[in-house]
Amino acid sequence: MKRLLVILMLLLPVVTIAQSELYKRYASREDLTVAQVNGFKLNESVRVNVVLVVADNEAAWNRLKEELDIRGEEGVNSWLGELKQPVKRVKWNGKTLLRVIASHARRTIGFYRIDNEEQYDALLDYQLNKMKK
Amino acid sequence: MTENEFDKLWQQAEVESYSQRLAAEYPGWRRKQQRTIGMVTASLAVVALLVLVAQLQQPQDFEKVYCNRVGTTDAQWASLAAEILME
Repeated sequence: MKRLLVILMLLLPVVTIAQSELYKRYASREDLTVAQVNGFKLNESVRVNVVLVVADNEAAWNRLKEELDIRGEEGVNSWLGELKQPVKRVKWNGKTLLRVIASHARRTIGFYRIDNEEQYDALLDYQLNKMKK
Repeated sequence: MTENEFDKLWQQAEVESYSQRLAAEYPGWRRKQQRTIGMVTASLAVVALLVLVAQLQQPQDFEKVYCNRVGTTDAQWASLAAEILME
């Protein structure tokens, strides 16, 4: 029993590390449902980590929009954001950043972590290919 | 010898003497003990195998999902990640 507890104690930090700062930031909020999808497959060789934040109600959505400076009421807003401050819009610079996509209809924001050019290209290809179908 | 070391030795001695007494009074005890160990080991092996099979059977569109609420499956979250990209 003691050994089992020790193993669980050792595994706990591993699980905590696997959760991103972004996930932890939103997961503690009561009016948001948050998920982190690790290793989301873009193609046979490229995967990315995604954090999805869903506002449980209109007030929570409006608060999120305000925090991330999202304007408009319909369709989708998307931009490249800084890793630590996704609200800051940036251009692709080869550094780790987030592809942020906000869907008004779903009251959902997706943060796709991009670590390199390969992932960036794969994400754009994924969007283009799926939209063509 | 510290008090802690003494306690450990004392406990060990108690267990050993208890095992010896059981073995002397009930010859089938050792066999039973080994059978129990064997069963536990086999159970652990089966559990490990089942976990491995479950991992292999998991949809390949994602590796692992964390969520702060229950109610939505991992596959549904992966599906949402895909749908948001297509909007």
